[in-house]
Amino acid sequence: MPEPLFAILIAAALVLIGWLLFWPKTGIIYRWRKARQVTDRVLLEDALKHIQRCERHAETPTLQSIAGALDISLNQAAHIAEELQSAELIQIENGAFRLTPPGREYALRVIRAHRLWEEYLAEQTGFDEAEWHDQAEQYEHLLSPEEARNLARQLGNPAYDPHGDPIPSSSGEFQHHPGIPLSSMEPEKPLRIIHIEDEPEEIYAQLVAEGLSPGMNLRISEKTLQRIRFWIGEEEHVLAPIVAANISVVQLPEELVEKTPPGAPLATLKPGEKGRVVALSPRLRGADRRRMMDLGILPGTTIDVEMTSPSGDPTAYKIRGALIALRKDQAQLIQVDNKPEELPL
Amino acid sequence: MNPSPQVDSQEILATAQALRWEVGKDFHEKLMEALYTNAAEIADRAVTRPGEKPRFDLDRSIDRIVTSRRWGFLLMILLFTLVFWITISLANVPSRMISDLLIGTIYPALNALATRLGFPWWLHGILIDGIYLATAWVISVMLPPMAIFFPLFTLLEDFGYLPRVAFNLDNVFKKAGAHGKQSLSMMMGFGCNAAGMISTRIIDSPRERMIAMLTNNFALCNGRWPTQILIAAIFIGALMPAYLAGIVSALAVVGIAVLGVLLTFVVSWFLTRSVLKGEVSSFSLELPPYRPPRVMQTIYTSLIDRTIYVLWRAVVFAAPAGAVIWLVANITIGGQSLAEYIINFLNPLGILIGLNGVILLAYIIAIPANEIVVPTVLMLTVLVTGLTGAGAGAGVMFEADLESTKAILVAGGWTLLTAINLMLFSLVHNPCSTTLYTMYKETDSRKWTTVAALLPLGMGFAITFVVAQVWRLIFG
Repeated sequence: MPEPLFAILIAAALVLIGWLLFWPKTGIIYRWRKARQVTDRVLLEDALKHIQRCERHAETPTLQSIAGALDISLNQAAHIAEELQSAELIQIENGAFRLTPPGREYALRVIRAHRLWEEYLAEQTGFDEAEWHDQAEQYEHLLSPEEARNLARQLGNPAYDPHGDPIPSSSGEFQHHPGIPLSSMEPEKPLRIIHIEDEPEEIYAQLVAEGLSPGMNLRISEKTLQRIRFWIGEEEHVLAPIVAANISVVQLPEELVEKTPPGAPLATLKPGEKGRVVALSPRLRGADRRRMMDLGILPGTTIDVEMTSPSGDPTAYKIRGALIALRKDQAQLIQVDNKPEELPL
Repeated sequence: MNPSPQVDSQEILATAQALRWEVGKDFHEKLMEALYTNAAEIADRAVTRPGEKPRFDLDRSIDRIVTSRRWGFLLMILLFTLVFWITISLANVPSRMISDLLIGTIYPALNALATRLGFPWWLHGILIDGIYLATAWVISVMLPPMAIFFPLFTLLEDFGYLPRVAFNLDNVFKKAGAHGKQSLSMMMGFGCNAAGMISTRIIDSPRERMIAMLTNNFALCNGRWPTQILIAAIFIGALMPAYLAGIVSALAVVGIAVLGVLLTFVVSWFLTRSVLKGEVSSFSLELPPYRPPRVMQTIYTSLIDRTIYVLWRAVVFAAPAGAVIWLVANITIGGQSLAEYIINFLNPLGILIGLNGVILLAYIIAIPANEIVVPTVLMLTVLVTGLTGAGAGAGVMFEADLESTKAILVAGGWTLLTAINLMLFSLVHNPCSTTLYTMYKETDSRKWTTVAALLPLGMGFAITFVVAQVWRLIFG
């Protein structure tokens, strides 16, 4: 029998080695596989995406900007640009990189795979919003056009990804959203979020934490150089202008404004109160959204709050004759009009 | 030929393509929502519900009590204590009766019959000492508690109370990433993990259901309670003066069960944040109206669906295990039985984690049913120590009274550490083959069934290893 202290030390060493090797994200095996995935092809595709992005924003892609966007050295960037050029995917015009038609097609194919994958993660898996982008960054290089087509069919040929970006069709057609940055809008107009930029990560994480999502209606109440204050229903949000610039909005036509009365989240109602559903939040997605609709939680449905669990959550609601318990974070996503007696029944 | 239709169709396609971007992001959802809303409106207009009462007042009053802050948890604890108490106190008598009948009466009769018919010794051994005895053992330990526990549980379910338990406890489970209904499948697991696996069907969210299945094993099932109680009485109760022995050994067993519940939460938490991160998850919990339970129907269906079903599967797995147990003890190579070879091989590992080779071998061949672990350990210990005057021969499982059981185990090298680690290992090891088979049937996935087997097994080794080393550091 080995000395117990010795045995513990050996076991601890084994655990440590296992942890160093296999831990996701930081483990050696993970990094090694990741590094193997970052092949030349991946770099080429990322460079194409970057140039396409620059063209879209009317910026000039340079070797420096490629090196910065791909997190590689200038030498590597030069090597990549050379290869792209010899493959006739880009050309040089007045000292700036331009995509050739085949190059543009290639870039759009990668973008299509990226956005389809994000839509897939949002609709058919339980991954967190914050993880969509990183995963899609990997899968965009792995999906073949055939697989992308199958995925699109499985998702019902979506036109937009969960951030509101258009998904290019298989023939590469798409239209940019007509949104304007929230930071350049005037107060008091009814607006709708149509796009949320998912890069850079820190700003996106802030927007996710605020619970913002394309499809939400808002109204700016105050705009200064330091902050933008706006309301979604009865919820107030305050953002720095630089953060708000990553939200694109369009003006809501007046006739739509009438149809969507402001509501309060169902979660704010107390037992004994009742509300009438006005909308399901766009953040209620995929399986969860379908479940709510299966239960009959639809615009127009009256919901009575019955009782709260002794542990504080969930709460039981009377919905169409059935007693259904929902958790707070779900009830938060159901907008109700809490004065339904004023509405004709 | 007129080319214009072709041009027209091109135009239509182009228009459709352009419109595609204008219908907006949520057009599918809007369409679906409109369909549902339309259907609901039509139903509201067309369906009249004569005499529809608001909500049954009695229902509401019951709900007010069973979900109230003051009475909710208290009532829950009382009810489940009652169910367990009834199960344990009522199961003893029929268990004894079945055991007397199957092992006390039929077993000797079969032996006599086989001898009279002139069976060769090996056939006699495999069929009667091996297969029959193992099966009889599993039935007598397993059947009575299940036949009492399942109907009681099903009555509570039928009455409508169980969903309220899930409602009360959901917040706790939510923190571990699980579903409140897991409290019910866990409770069912205290009866039988295979039945617990089946009962996870009530959880309709895929991720939460998988969590419930993977952690069901941490609910101490009725095949393991007797082991815990026996070992606690022999080794832990004995440390105390006589008047404390009973209560201390009972506390030790309850402590193991509570540890199981804690592990359920820890492992659920870990699973949601690692392997199950991307699985679809959606919560909803219906609280159906109360209704008077249909007693006869409930007893009938719970006996057929749960008890007999699980029992049959257990028997199917226990019978070959009985044959294997007899064979390893009786096949000899060079004067040593196969069992001794395996035990000698497993001994270093067993000793390292504070158990021994006999226990590990017993857990390997008793994978089909935890009920036969202790009889197998006793048989194997007698076999390897060569004790005389104990046991019933190579390959024949047996049980003895407390004193002689302890004598046999101590002769087999057991210490207090062995006893504690056996209790821990009995809680945290791979589920029995019946449970694994049920898991495979329910998930149709080899991968998850393998995880369900290896995760607790690995944890069991880790826990017993650490306990053993720390113990040896402190007590030398």
